Amino acid sequence: MTPDTHCNRELLEKLLTESLSERDESDASEHLSQCPTCRQEFEVLAAANDWWAEASQRLSHRADRRGTIANITGPDDDDDDWPATFSTDFAVDFLEPSDDATALGRLGEYEIVEVIGRGGMGVVLKGFQKELHRYVAVKVLSPHLATSGAARRRFAREAQATAAVVHPHVMAIHSVNANVRLPYLVMPFVDCESLQQRLDRQGPLDLKDILRIGMQAALGLAAAHAQGLVHRDVKPANILLETNVDRVLLTDFGLARAVDDATLTRTGIIAGTPQYMSPEQANGDGVDHRSDLFSLGSVLYAMCTARPPFRAESTFGVLRRIRETSARSIREINGDVPEWLERIIERLLSKDAGARFGSAQEVATLLEQCLAHQQQPTTNPLPALVGDWPLLPSAQTRDQRTGSQQRRLAAIVIATMVLLTGFYHAWKSATTPLPQEQGAAISRHSSPAASDASGSKQADAPGWNELNDELDRTESLIDELESSHGDDRAVQGANR
Amino acid sequence: MVEPETRQSLMLRLQSASDQQAWAQFVAIYEPLILRLMKQRGLQDADAYDVTQQVILAVTQAVDEWQPDGQAASFRRWLFSIARRLALKFVERGARTRGPSRRGAGGTDMLNLLHSLPEPEHRTVQFFDNEYRNEIFDWAADRARGEFRESTWQAFWRSCVLNEPIAAVATSLGVTTGSVYVARTRVIARLRRLVEECEAERDA
Repeated sequence: MTPDTHCNRELLEKLLTESLSERDESDASEHLSQCPTCRQEFEVLAAANDWWAEASQRLSHRADRRGTIANITGPDDDDDDWPATFSTDFAVDFLEPSDDATALGRLGEYEIVEVIGRGGMGVVLKGFQKELHRYVAVKVLSPHLATSGAARRRFAREAQATAAVVHPHVMAIHSVNANVRLPYLVMPFVDCESLQQRLDRQGPLDLKDILRIGMQAALGLAAAHAQGLVHRDVKPANILLETNVDRVLLTDFGLARAVDDATLTRTGIIAGTPQYMSPEQANGDGVDHRSDLFSLGSVLYAMCTARPPFRAESTFGVLRRIRETSARSIREINGDVPEWLERIIERLLSKDAGARFGSAQEVATLLEQCLAHQQQPTTNPLPALVGDWPLLPSAQTRDQRTGSQQRRLAAIVIATMVLLTGFYHAWKSATTPLPQEQGAAISRHSSPAASDASGSKQADAPGWNELNDELDRTESLIDELESSHGDDRAVQGANR
Repeated sequence: MVEPETRQSLMLRLQSASDQQAWAQFVAIYEPLILRLMKQRGLQDADAYDVTQQVILAVTQAVDEWQPDGQAASFRRWLFSIARRLALKFVERGARTRGPSRRGAGGTDMLNLLHSLPEPEHRTVQFFDNEYRNEIFDWAADRARGEFRESTWQAFWRSCVLNEPIAAVATSLGVTTGSVYVARTRVIARLRRLVEECEAERDA
């Protein structure tokens, strides 16, 4: 967008509601910084000028008002404002004293040795079970959730259901104690890091790891789905990677449900950042196992790009993006990801639950075959399935795609023109055979697409075709230029 | 704030999530508002706190009188309208007697007392409405802040409320001026929606 064309209203509305793609958003906000007219129109969409002034004036006295109150509300403050994370005091608070001097305290038959982590739903403690001489992880429901009868019932019911899922890729549950002030469940203590921690530390993962982790997570989900359980909170933080062993453990079943139940009734808003939610969850509709498949798609996306597919400035923005927009193409962010994997992820990320894969088991099998292909390409062909459906499943995706392809193409055309102008001038000033060097550089550039070694569909993608055509044309223009030394009109033609 | 038993029966009465949410919103707005108004009217901290509790308690008890009218947000509209009437009377009385009634005048006594209080003067209403609006903006700001990234909120707060120059805000947040414009406008849009929600309820 150039500074002299104005934004239309629809675009501004989309900008306001965080409905534009990242690129369009940055173009539009760049334009706003240059164009007072559009800025005014944009600002009035949010509120009239005098409303802005009123907000500014009223909020500027807020500190005075709030200061007065802070002094008096101490003692009777109830628990309405429980923080999402808890102080260490909370963890120790409910423990009974232990005979073991090195322990923080005792919870039932467990000596609690340390606090492993905290989250919106409670605390995870490391405990030692003397009778069986083993370490365990004890997850305790947080006090503010424990006061809700519904949350407690769900905690108990779903924790028991999860305990029934015995599977190598589902975190086992030793026991559940729901009839205490703060319900807790006991799991094996596993030396691990979460996928979220891995992504934060390492960025995008290798293809092999993406497929392996995705496959194992899908297997864990399949086992849960077979028991009629929907996870509802599949995200990198709930996927544990065991240290030194290539094993993935799915965790936090059911708790997720207890959490959104209680927080929904308390505040009406969803706790945390719902970046891995499915569109049906974002809509507040009922969910089934296919909701988990969408979230699994988001997790695969995050492994490829080190970021969730739907990001925005606010919770509402994220929810809106999940419902209404397609994620940015994975291979635009990480060119190392093969197209067939992008296809699989796109299908998992279908807004329509019916358009995703039929089951987690199906996804696991598919990823397993892909992994086999990745490890032994000659003996294991890619499963036919990954090439079978169109890359662009919905009209929405298609529009966004075409848009980005056009932009990519435009960028190439502009770059070509700049290049041609550049060496035209260089060559005009009678210097050496620079044009040849440039031509060589360009054909090198085009080679990876032409001779794609993996045999994937990359070379067939329209983007690459157009790029190749464009580069071919550029090269023939260069040839033309070389053969017509001194003919200014040819150069003009190239620049047009 | 309200005694646990009252709270429990209230929660039994308010089955739907949106009704519970309306209640939470009422408490979040009225509690600090009454407290502040009473302090402004010269009450000691403890007395101001006492009055605040009485208002909330009176409204809690009044919930038993609420009959759903079958229309959307029935409870919400009813709640905010009765809250305003009760609060206004308390403010009026606070202004005249400079002291709350004794605690313990609970139950229906409380409501009878309130019904018997005089209607507030015009000046009191104006004063109350202005302060109510301040409180709504504060509440909306608390609420909106949690919904945005911290940098988005800062872009709004510093450029709109603290009136810092856009370029300075952008530089210190490490973003473009364009994204400061966008961020603060989004925050304003959200604040406006939150504020209007409360207005609509009160006017109903």
